[in-house]
Amino acid sequence: MNKRKLIKPLSYSVLIVALLLVPLLITQPYVLHILIMMAVNIGLASSLRFIATSGQFSLGHAGMVSIGAYTSALLVMKLGLSFWLAFPLSGLTAMCIAFLVGYPFVRLKGIYFTMVTLFFTEVIKLTAEQWRSLTGGVAGIIAIPRPNAIIIPGLLNANFASKADFYYLALMMVVFTLLILYAIESSRIGMTFLSIQQSEPLAESVGVNSSGFRVLAFSIGCFFAGLDGAFYCHYLSAIAPASFGFLLSINVFIYTVVGGMRRFSGPIMGAIILTLIPELARGVKEYEPFVFAGILLLVIFFLRGGVVSLPEKLSKIIKRRVAYA
Amino acid sequence: MPTLEVSGLTKYFGGLAAVNELDFHVRHGEMVGLIGPNGAGKTTVFNLMTGFLRPTKGKVVFKGKDVTSQKPHFIAETGIVRTFQATTLFSDFNVLKNIIAACYLKSKVRFWEATFHTSNSRKKEEHVLSRALEIMHFVGLDAVKDHPARRLPHGYKRILGIAVSMAADPQLLLLDEPLSGMNVEEADKAVALIRRIWERGTTILLIEHNMRAAMNLCQRIIVLEMGRKIAEGTPEEVRANEEVIQAYLGTGKHAT
Amino acid sequence: MIAQNLLNGLMSGWIYILVALGLTLVLSIVGIVQLAHGEIYMIGAYIVYYFCVSAGLNFFPSLLISILCVGLLGVVIERFFLRPFRDDVEGAIITTIALILILQTAMVAIAGESYKDIPSPIQGVLTVLGARLSWERLLTILVSIALVSLLLIFINKTKIGQAMVAVSEDREAAALQGINVNRVSSVAMFLGCALAAAAGGLTGAIFDVTPFIGGFALMKGIEVIILGGLGSISGAIIGGLILGLVDGLVTPLLSVQMAGIISLVVIILILLFRPQGLLGHE
Repeated sequence: MNKRKLIKPLSYSVLIVALLLVPLLITQPYVLHILIMMAVNIGLASSLRFIATSGQFSLGHAGMVSIGAYTSALLVMKLGLSFWLAFPLSGLTAMCIAFLVGYPFVRLKGIYFTMVTLFFTEVIKLTAEQWRSLTGGVAGIIAIPRPNAIIIPGLLNANFASKADFYYLALMMVVFTLLILYAIESSRIGMTFLSIQQSEPLAESVGVNSSGFRVLAFSIGCFFAGLDGAFYCHYLSAIAPASFGFLLSINVFIYTVVGGMRRFSGPIMGAIILTLIPELARGVKEYEPFVFAGILLLVIFFLRGGVVSLPEKLSKIIKRRVAYA
Repeated sequence: MPTLEVSGLTKYFGGLAAVNELDFHVRHGEMVGLIGPNGAGKTTVFNLMTGFLRPTKGKVVFKGKDVTSQKPHFIAETGIVRTFQATTLFSDFNVLKNIIAACYLKSKVRFWEATFHTSNSRKKEEHVLSRALEIMHFVGLDAVKDHPARRLPHGYKRILGIAVSMAADPQLLLLDEPLSGMNVEEADKAVALIRRIWERGTTILLIEHNMRAAMNLCQRIIVLEMGRKIAEGTPEEVRANEEVIQAYLGTGKHAT
Repeated sequence: MIAQNLLNGLMSGWIYILVALGLTLVLSIVGIVQLAHGEIYMIGAYIVYYFCVSAGLNFFPSLLISILCVGLLGVVIERFFLRPFRDDVEGAIITTIALILILQTAMVAIAGESYKDIPSPIQGVLTVLGARLSWERLLTILVSIALVSLLLIFINKTKIGQAMVAVSEDREAAALQGINVNRVSSVAMFLGCALAAAAGGLTGAIFDVTPFIGGFALMKGIEVIILGGLGSISGAIIGGLILGLVDGLVTPLLSVQMAGIISLVVIILILLFRPQGLLGHE
């Protein structure tokens, strides 16, 4: 009994240690870059799914990432704030904006909510293109400084000149994101989200303020999207409205669906697989969207629960075969 | 003073009045029946009373407080809980989890306490669990505790719907055709359950098509037709009322 | 100047109407938000381009061929990719996204990303009260009006047209009345894609054709439907004209972004406060 209980935390600890050791073993910047993008995508997909647990599909993530990115760039470059202050503030900005637009938006149900979030993304993009004095217009912002160095004499000298430092930052960011999302989801709050998703009228009839909870889910999900945006801009050092179009929202949506909406691990798997595929398909880059499309069709026709539901589905098929053998 | 006072309740859909100048009251501890032919507006009345629909006119006063046009969750918090005509459940949850989820009002903790699973929140959840088990036992669903709600036979689903509403600790329980789709055996068990709920002190307003059950359970019956109250009284009085008989049988026909 | 902007606005408006009508046909009869509708529009433009340039046909024969080919393509797409997800919102979103990826990437592979230009069917200007109005744009408006009129005649005067109306109102009731819902869906898809192809071809004669023009068309189509009201043909016409005029007048005055922002803010407000649109039911 005691041994069983230790397996989970033990395997997670091993995983964390392994992840921490990666930059010591792998030094090619290109591989580190992939891992960093994977971490960012995991954060985006997981926070999108988090919103979906309350029954709403958002295509507004690109807009929120954009808000986080521009906020951080402007706070650092125009107000001289340290990255370490700008970073959480960017997440909070995205969250506040999500909260403000959330209240009117959650009055819409189903595909109408999805549509209005899509329009929101587009409005943000157009505003970024239009407000040249603030955002640099269509050209965007370049030469965004790296995060301020953390120097603990004798122990740590992280000046973010190398990918390894960004890797650790991304790792910490995604672990933080997943821990918080998981904690909320496994709490009474998460259960309430799920009850709203399954039957909003029933939840209301037992006292659940469904609009309030939907705004909460939306705001929290967008907080992490904003955080990812802030990371992006200091990692890539240049941002432009074109990077945050609805294609990004759709990509994140795809990671979530392919990985599986029903389980917490779904978007993690989806983001890992779909970040890797473009890299494995380097030679045939023009046909990469075909591969994506193929995966989408496979999932939608044969594996609705996503990749994480594969073991379950396989065991069902095997059981059926055995029963009829 | 009556627990529930409905006055002038009216709802127009386009030019048609689904509910028309309805006045009625329910006293504390009563079990009142709301009957009428199909389309009489009974479920609309429930929707209007519990904030799922906005009345065109009228007032709903509960325990002295005006709850007209409030949001459904607010009304639930003041103590009015309704069930649904269709089998509305948390279909992916199992039976026990349905009831636990419905204990929302009893489980409120601060956001941070819930997220970080503090001892305060864990204690509350323990209370909720024992309460949910108690309710599940009271309604007789122990045997199907782990079954997903989606897979329950119809009669059990209706009972679960009642259990869910009980989880919200109602003072006034609005039951919308709880016996619909049940066979005789299931209906008898459900009637016994409803009586037990009433005996525990819950005031009940019951919509039912099953005449036998309604007459058996309720001390007082209100009859609606086309959105208006056409009769009110004890089951015997209502049963003998000419207008009521006409409403159910249509024009030009008399039952012997 | 104003006259030309008005003309541009009207022309944009009618193109938006064609796209929106196609989209709303598919939505109300096939039952799916066809997110790849913009790609259908784009393919329509390319087919006109190829028949004009490679086969040397005139504009209108090419347009006709494009309409027919794209319509048939639509029927195939509906049968295999859309019909299984009729009442499945999540599935429909994913399958149409897959279609966007497939169609757009195929076109990039076939035609490359460079701008293509469809030779214009007509040159010159018409001078009216001192205003110089381009014949090209006038023609586009006239052809669009003709196509919409044909559609209306088809819907009101033919049996299948009436069947389409019945299915759009209540699919189950229509099936019970003996209407072959699948066949009606195919016809609706054919017509919807035909309209999109026509819009693409007409626009391609004036603006550049690239594999990426579909996104804008889809956006405008959705905006028109929301503004005018789901399922309302007259709503689509009015909504299309309003949005077209906004684009036509605001863009030269302020910027294309401002035109987009104004349109979107109006649409968002409509979704929030009058979700049935200007002329929708309910």
